[in-house]
Amino acid sequence: MHSKTSSYVGLLYVAPALAFVLTFTVYPLVQMVWMSLHNWSLIAAKKFIGFGNFVKAWNDPQFWTSLEFTLKYTILITPVLMVLGYLIALLTAENRPLRQFTRSVVFAPVVIGLGASSLLWYWLFSYDFGLINRALMDLGVIAKPVVWFGADADIALGAVIVSIVWKVVGFGTILFVAAIHAIPGEIGEAAMVDGASYWQRVRRITLPLTAKTILLVTLVSVIGSLLAFDQFYIMTAGQPRNLTATSVFLIYLNSFPYLKLGYGAALSLILAGIILVCTCLQMLLSRRSHA
Amino acid sequence: MSAFGEAAGRGMSRTSAQHHAQGLVGRLINGRQKYLVAAACVAVCTVMLLPLVASVLASLKSTEEAAAAPPTYIPRGLSLDSYERLWNYQAGLPVYFSNSLGAAGLTILFCLALTIPAGYGLAKFRIPGKEALFVVLLLGLIVPYQALLTPLFFLFVQLKLHNSLVGLAIVHTAIQLPFSIYVMRNAFEAVPRELEEAAIMDGCNSFQVLVHICLPAVVPAIITVSLFAFITSWNELLAALVIMNKDSSFTLPLILAAARQQTSIGGTDWGMLQAGITISIIPCMAFYLLLQKYYMAGLLSGAVK
Amino acid sequence: MSLQLSTRCRSALAGLLAMVALPAMAEDLQMWERSGGNAGMVDALVAAWNEKNPDRKINLTYIPHTEMVPKIAQAIASGEVPDLMGMDLIYGPQFEAAGQLVDITDKVKDWPELKTAVQGHMAVSTYEGRLYGVPLYADVSALFYNKDLFRKAGLDPEKPPTSLAEIREYADKITALGGDVKGYFLPGSCAGCNIFTVGPLMWASGATIEPRDANDEPLQGDGVKEVLQWARDMIKAGNVHEDARAETGETFHLRFGSGKIGMMGTGNFNITLAKEQNPSMDFGIALLPGVKSGQVSSFAGGDIVTIPNGSKRIDDAIDFMKFLLSDETQVEVYAKMLNMTTRGDMTDNKYFQAEPKVQQVAKAIAVAETPYTLKFFELINSPQGPWLQMLQRAYYEDTDLDTIISEAKAQMKAIAAE
Repeated sequence: MHSKTSSYVGLLYVAPALAFVLTFTVYPLVQMVWMSLHNWSLIAAKKFIGFGNFVKAWNDPQFWTSLEFTLKYTILITPVLMVLGYLIALLTAENRPLRQFTRSVVFAPVVIGLGASSLLWYWLFSYDFGLINRALMDLGVIAKPVVWFGADADIALGAVIVSIVWKVVGFGTILFVAAIHAIPGEIGEAAMVDGASYWQRVRRITLPLTAKTILLVTLVSVIGSLLAFDQFYIMTAGQPRNLTATSVFLIYLNSFPYLKLGYGAALSLILAGIILVCTCLQMLLSRRSHA
Repeated sequence: MSAFGEAAGRGMSRTSAQHHAQGLVGRLINGRQKYLVAAACVAVCTVMLLPLVASVLASLKSTEEAAAAPPTYIPRGLSLDSYERLWNYQAGLPVYFSNSLGAAGLTILFCLALTIPAGYGLAKFRIPGKEALFVVLLLGLIVPYQALLTPLFFLFVQLKLHNSLVGLAIVHTAIQLPFSIYVMRNAFEAVPRELEEAAIMDGCNSFQVLVHICLPAVVPAIITVSLFAFITSWNELLAALVIMNKDSSFTLPLILAAARQQTSIGGTDWGMLQAGITISIIPCMAFYLLLQKYYMAGLLSGAVK
Repeated sequence: MSLQLSTRCRSALAGLLAMVALPAMAEDLQMWERSGGNAGMVDALVAAWNEKNPDRKINLTYIPHTEMVPKIAQAIASGEVPDLMGMDLIYGPQFEAAGQLVDITDKVKDWPELKTAVQGHMAVSTYEGRLYGVPLYADVSALFYNKDLFRKAGLDPEKPPTSLAEIREYADKITALGGDVKGYFLPGSCAGCNIFTVGPLMWASGATIEPRDANDEPLQGDGVKEVLQWARDMIKAGNVHEDARAETGETFHLRFGSGKIGMMGTGNFNITLAKEQNPSMDFGIALLPGVKSGQVSSFAGGDIVTIPNGSKRIDDAIDFMKFLLSDETQVEVYAKMLNMTTRGDMTDNKYFQAEPKVQQVAKAIAVAETPYTLKFFELINSPQGPWLQMLQRAYYEDTDLDTIISEAKAQMKAIAAE
């Protein structure tokens, strides 16, 4: 390889991206840390308050409500995404026309924007104008229309989860399919000879040999869920009573409409810390499964 | 989807990939199960496609029908009213559409210009502190970008980048960069070393190796990065709102947000909203369907490691 | 598309883009306005101005109304401001107190038109005796009632309710008609709709809602609890459609025109809308009442137009303000579109004379109030704020009302104290 060439050459290739990240991610991040130590409303002078914003977060019931709700959402949606994604992957792993077509269809919602898909589902779930209430009524599943958003936090959460599963399940499916394809054929052959049933083979061979991918997809999904914002901003607006306001929603509220930039920055740092811990845990798990 | 082979690639030929996949799941499937699988596939496809179909149909309803409660399943008559309202909305759809397209195009360009060399450098060179460097590059993954927008906005004002598509594309690039670097680095790592070593023996320098040997091998990853950069930029709302100051520089997602509060005291124009959703989905779908075989492979080689 | 590229980024592409970029129209005034307010009205005002001033046209940009406050704040903090800003009038004090708007007192002090301009708008445009804006348009809230449903329920269509107890009594009768008809409407997820239509019920009953500043006690008077109890009972009795709970304001304006609601608090804009929606419906308008008969109030809402610090076109902006208040604009733009005139002395015009309903609504201007607070959004208008939370708990929970009110008080005080 290029191991003989000086390491500066490699650094040279990475330099533009590094410069970009330092300018447009790290520098604003440093500013954000500095902001988090101040009380600043944009239109009035900044005031240094040390760790006041972090103390405020600790004592803010809404901070805990939002964090709890974000974790609840993450804990509920992740297994659904993983299991469904994996089942569809098993269903469509074989390269045959109908299955490949299904794979493409399942992946299709991944490529439309989260904003567009959230608006679409907001309409589908709408009380008067939505097709979901209409269809459920026509099928006799419900006697009267359901108020999906704004009345009951759990119903709203369920509706959001349905929309997001539709939107992103294909992402996991595609990666799982790839992982299944990467399993050396002989292993499967051997199991066939043993006369193991299909599900036994899935459990003993397919799952363990695709564990690394499962962990990766889980990690991506968990980070995405912890940073969830658009879907709640568009579909629930935090209603009822802020019970469906995620952590990023609260960050948005403070950083924008409430003009409490310092508090918003502090909340962001706390959330980034939580995500960092989750990521490290996943990495450790991944290393162990590797061994 | 024929690229699955190359995807799972890395030394395994396409036929063997297919062969073992079939070996694993194919053989046991007899007649009755075949029908079960087919039925399951059809069911999955139906569930996935219905919402999209419903939205497109709703966008073709007349204004009255689009606002009807309860809604109709199938439009009673096709009408382009909603599209006409969207077309003439404020500065006009063409303006918003081209702004969105400009921002997305620039975002793709920036992402590729930065991550192709970066992926190559990270995958093929010994760099002191490479792990730490990689972590810094992926830092954007764990920070809610919504909170970075205000500091970025002030930086942009200093650099005279606000209210410009370039500025907006820079924010979108910053959001998309970690994912792009990750995919690119993995794609470059999957390029067999023998190829490069042969080229080096022939006296190629590292840049020539990148251009002649590696680039052709990472085309799927390039397409993947482009697609996801496009999706991110095309649909991003909040940064567009913060960075842009004039109606004539707004993008499509802003119009979708506005359509929700459009009637005289802020009610939703359902028909226009559906038309907007459909218009915003079309380019993403076109991109996806045209380049499907490439980026599927790119995603696979880039992510499954 | 005006691309301001720094010298630092002269990539070939940037150069190319700059070449195809259209030059900005230097002589246009840039004006921002919130979307979803009264866009039709503002469009008409700007069009009328542009017709008269082809050399200094106004270029209007609508900002999604939820983002208006941060957008203005960012613009001011960065010095990149529009020349004119239409804003929801209740945000006036916040920006005036921060010293972010141009003081127009000396330039307009001789205008006779200002003497009759809507009081609420003028009050929130004033900070420490200095003036920073003038009315852009005015909305007032009132009680709309469906005369057809009144007749069906055996009520006198010429006698609208004059107290909360009467609203309850009439609503029960109208709801009893059955079918899809309900007696009243209370929006469950819309903070703005509630301050507009439920706030006046409290004011009429002698209560206060928002704290003016950090030292002011919020939610004073028995009226708060009385109105909350009344609303809770109304909903419990089934007088409000169930989906009202999810009303975020997006369909609020369509409710009355559906013909399925006996009475509801809404605004003057609903006159034209209800007629469009339901031409055959017969309806009347009264003032929003309080607990006791004879108590009335209304919310004067709408927008003011201000000039942000850093605007380079102050004189042109002042001329636009003058134009808004002129007799001709008042009659030929505002009144012609059946919108409230922003001057009290202009209500006697040919357009209003032809439309008695507008005259009925205009009576509300005399009793209307406008909150004056530096933190309006966070206190009241935010869907996540203490005002809506208090209402939602009162409407849909069984928690003791005193507890709910005292918790809302504590939240409001904490916000006001910051």
